[in-house]
Amino acid sequence: MNRHPVHLTVNGETVDGEAEARTLLVHFLREQLGLTGTHVGCVVGECGACSVLVDGALVKSCLMLAVQANGSEVTTIEGLSAAGALHPVQDAFIDRFALQCGFCTPGFVMAAHALLTRNPDPTEQQIRQELSSNLCMCTGYVQIVEAVRDAAGRLRAKGRDR
Amino acid sequence: MTRYIGTSVRSKEAPRHVTGRGRYVDDLTLPRMLHACILRSPYAHARVARVDGGRAAERSGVKAVLTPADVQRLSRPFKPGRYAAGLRVPIPEYACAIDKVRYVGEPVAMVAAETRAGAEDALDLIDVEYEPLAAVVTTAGAAAPAAPALYDELGTNVAWQGHVAYGDVDAAFAQADRVVRENLKIHRYSSTPLEPFACLAQAAPEGLTMWCNAQSPDVVYEALAEALGLQTVRVIVPDVGGGFGQKIHLIRKYAVLAALMAVRTGRPVKWIEDRSEHMMAGGHSCEQEFDVEAAVKGDGEVLGLKIRDTDDVGGSVSTLTIHFTNKLNNLFNTYKVQHLRLEGRSVLTNKCPVVPNRGIGKPGMCFVWERTMDRIAQELGLDPIEVRRRNLVPKEAFPYTTPNGNIHGSGDYQTLLDKVLANVGYEDVRRRQKEQHGSTRIGIGVVIGVEPGGRNAARDMAIFPQSKQMPGAGGVEGATVKIEKNGSVVFTLGSPSCGQSHETTAAQIIADVLGVTPSRVSQVGTFDTALSPWGVSSANSGNNFHLYDVGAVHGAATRLREKVLTLAAHLLDEDRGSLRIEDGVVHGATDRVSFVELGRIAYSNQALLPPGVEGGLETTYYHSHPHAEPLMLPDAHGRVRAQYTFSSAAHAAVVEVDIETGRVRVVRYVIVSDNGTLINPSVVDGQIYGSAAHGVSVALGEGFVYGEDGQLLTMTLLDYGKSTTLETPRIEVEHYPIPDPFTTFGQKAAGEGAAIPSPAAIASAVEDALAPFGVKVRRLPLSPERVWELIQGR
Repeated sequence: MNRHPVHLTVNGETVDGEAEARTLLVHFLREQLGLTGTHVGCVVGECGACSVLVDGALVKSCLMLAVQANGSEVTTIEGLSAAGALHPVQDAFIDRFALQCGFCTPGFVMAAHALLTRNPDPTEQQIRQELSSNLCMCTGYVQIVEAVRDAAGRLRAKGRDR
Repeated sequence: MTRYIGTSVRSKEAPRHVTGRGRYVDDLTLPRMLHACILRSPYAHARVARVDGGRAAERSGVKAVLTPADVQRLSRPFKPGRYAAGLRVPIPEYACAIDKVRYVGEPVAMVAAETRAGAEDALDLIDVEYEPLAAVVTTAGAAAPAAPALYDELGTNVAWQGHVAYGDVDAAFAQADRVVRENLKIHRYSSTPLEPFACLAQAAPEGLTMWCNAQSPDVVYEALAEALGLQTVRVIVPDVGGGFGQKIHLIRKYAVLAALMAVRTGRPVKWIEDRSEHMMAGGHSCEQEFDVEAAVKGDGEVLGLKIRDTDDVGGSVSTLTIHFTNKLNNLFNTYKVQHLRLEGRSVLTNKCPVVPNRGIGKPGMCFVWERTMDRIAQELGLDPIEVRRRNLVPKEAFPYTTPNGNIHGSGDYQTLLDKVLANVGYEDVRRRQKEQHGSTRIGIGVVIGVEPGGRNAARDMAIFPQSKQMPGAGGVEGATVKIEKNGSVVFTLGSPSCGQSHETTAAQIIADVLGVTPSRVSQVGTFDTALSPWGVSSANSGNNFHLYDVGAVHGAATRLREKVLTLAAHLLDEDRGSLRIEDGVVHGATDRVSFVELGRIAYSNQALLPPGVEGGLETTYYHSHPHAEPLMLPDAHGRVRAQYTFSSAAHAAVVEVDIETGRVRVVRYVIVSDNGTLINPSVVDGQIYGSAAHGVSVALGEGFVYGEDGQLLTMTLLDYGKSTTLETPRIEVEHYPIPDPFTTFGQKAAGEGAAIPSPAAIASAVEDALAPFGVKVRRLPLSPERVWELIQGR
C-alpha cells in the first residue's frame, strides 16, 4: 500500500514521517513516534482515551487519519508538562484521586485542559457536559469532576500570580 | 503506629498515569514482533465444516495462520474448572472453536502478520464453510424439549440443576400469614474495562514469556501449562486498564492462541482485542430470572424464602455454575431470616459466555431481596423502610453467623438506614412527592446490601461435594518487603492491580510498620511470576486485597521491623525495647542509626552483623486468614463461609421520571457505607463511587441486546448504553466504619460493593415514582423505552 508523507509538529518537535492513507493518527502517534500515553479504548470515537490537541482543538485521534493531520501542531499527554513540572490539571488529578486504572486518564486530562483553556471557571454542569465526550469505567466521575474544579482554581491562581 | 493508615496519602500510581507513562501491554514492543488478529464467528450457532487459511497465508506480510485443526493438533483442551463445577459430562474446551460455533464472536482462526493492518486484511482471505444451525437466545427457548442442543454430549441445554436449602423452609411457609410472590429479571451487562484483553507472547528456548492483562495470572499460568504442556512459563502483568472480573477467565483462550502463534512463528506475537470483539466475546454477566416466594407474618417479618433461579450462561460450559455458587456469598443479605431454599438452573444459549463481573451473582441476589422487601410492604400496606428494619440482623447479634455459614464480623444495619434517610432528606422527598404536578414524577428508593470480601473457594463443595481438590480454599497470599542498600523501602505483592491503588495502600501500611514516610516506599515493577511471591487467593479478584495482600504486607513489614531492631540494638549496644523508629532512623537512648547505614551494613559488612544473624534486610511473608475457621470447609448441613468479611451499605436513590418520554434522571444518590477501618479514605471513596455509578448505569439502560437470530445488536459502547458524566449522578458517600474484629486493622472489603445494591435502589425509586400508575418494576434495565411501556401498562 502506498505511503504518504506526514509532517507534524508534535509536542513542539518537528516530525517527518510517512503513513498509509488509512493509518489513524492515534496509531501513527503510538507506533511510529512511541507516544504510548495516547490510548485506544474503542477506536470509533466513543471513549475519548485517545484525545489529543490538533492545532489547539480537542480531537479524538482515532477519528482522524495521520495524513489529515499533515501540517498540524499536535499536543499529546506527553507534551502537556514542561520540563518536568506537572501541568495544574495533572497535579489536580493526582491530588484528587481522579483516576484508578489510568487508561482513560490521558484523554480526560487533555479534555479537561481543553475545557479550561476555553472556560477558566466552569460550573459542575458545564464540566459534566464537556467531559461527556470521554468514558471512565472505574471512577464514577466524582473525583474527576472535583479535580477539574480544583485545576480551574489552580490555573486562575497561577494567572493572578503573573 | 498508625500515622499514615487512615489518611488519604498521595497516590503512588497517579503521577505516571497523568503523564502518559503508564505501561500497558499494548505499549510494549519487542524486536521482530508480529501482530495477530482473530477471525470470529458471524453466526450464533453453526457447524464449522471447513477452515482453510491457505489464501491468507500467501498474502504478503502474513507469517502464519492458525486454524481449528492446528489448535486441536498443537494444544490440549482446558479441563472443566471450578467455574464449571456443576458440569456432569467432562466437556473439553479448546482455545478456539473446533467443529462448532456457539455464539457470535467465538474465535475460529488467528492470523499473524508484520503489521496489525496486514493481519486484519488477511482475515478476509480465510475461507470458512459454516453450516448454520437454529440459534436459541432465550432460556425458555433453549430449555424447550425440541430446542437445538448446543452440546450434543449433554443432549439438553439445561446443563445443570441443583439447589441449596437452609433451615426448615416448609415449616416457615406453614406458619406464614401470607405468601408474597414475584418474578424478577436482571439482564446481561458487563464492566467493559476500557482496556480490552491484551497478550504479548515470546517463545524462547528457555521458556515462554507472556505479558498479559490478566487479573489472575494464576489462571493464565495454569492454562498455558495445561494447553501447551509447557513447564517453563513466565506471566508478567504490567499496568492493567480495568478488570472488574472480566479479565479473570476468558483471557486464557487468547493467551494460549498468542502463545501457539509465538511458538509457530518463532517471533514475539502481540494480540490486542478491539472494542467490538470485547463486546461480542469478552464475557458478559449472567442474565438471571427469579421466581420468588416469601413467607411473611402480618407485621412484615420474613419467615422464609423460596427462590427458583434460572441463569442464562451463554454458549460455553466453562463458567456453568459460577453465578449460582456466588449467590451463597450474600444469600441472606442483611436479614435475619433463618429458612431459605434456592433452586438453580444453568441454561446454555447462543450468546456470549458469562464471566465474573463486579459482584457476579451478588447484584442479582440483592435485587431479589430488596425488590421482595418492597413488594411485601406494598401487599401488607406497610412502610418499605419499616419492613426492612423488622428483618435486619440487629447490631447486638454480631459477630453474626448466617444460616449458610457466613460470619458477618461487625455491622450496624439500622444505623446505616438511619443515616442514609437523614442524608437524603427522606421526609422532604415524601413531602415534595405530594406537591408534584406536571410531567415529572419524583421517586425514592432505599435499599441495603453487603459487600463480601476474601474468597473461600471451598464454598463450592457445599453445592458440589464431589469437588475435592480446591485451590483457593481459605487463602494464601505473599508479599516481600526490602530495605535497599540506600535505605529506601521496596515491596512486591503476590497479585496484580487493575486500578485499585494497591501500591499506595500497601505503602501506607509499610510506612507505619517500619517507621518511614510513604514517599520512601515503592513497589518494584508490577506482577511477574518469576519475581513476585505467589498469591492464589488474591489475584485481584473477589475483593481479596484488603484481607490477603494487606495481611501479607503487614506480616512482611513486621518481620522486617524485627530484624531492623535486632541489628540496630547490636550496633547501638542498647536493648531492643528502648529503641524507636522515626522517619527511617532508629533512635536509642543516646545514639541512633539510619536505614541508610543499616542498608550498607546488612548487605556488605559481616563484621558488624550480630552473631548468627543472616545478612540482608528482606522478608517475605505468606498470609492466611488467621480466623478462616470455623466453617472453612462445609459442614454436614452445607454451611460454609463463602467469603470472610462483610462490608455493608445503605443506598438511597432519588429519581425524576418524565412520564411522557420514560426518561429517568437520578437527582440524588446517597450512600452510607461501613467498610471497616479505612486505610486510605479517598481510595475507598473512589471504589464506592465507581461501583455505584456502574450499578446505576446498569439499571438505567446499559446492557447487551441480542436479536432473535443471536446477533449481538450492541457492538459499541454507545449502542450498549454506557452512562457518561451526564447520566451519572454525583454520588454522595458518608463512611460509618465499624472495624472487623478478625482482620489486621479492622478493615473490610472495598471494591465492587456499591455495584451490588445500586440496581435495586434505582428499581425501587422508579417504582416509587410511578406508584400512581400502578407500575411494578420486575426487570432491568429501565431504559426510557421500557419505562414508557410500564407507564402505558404494557
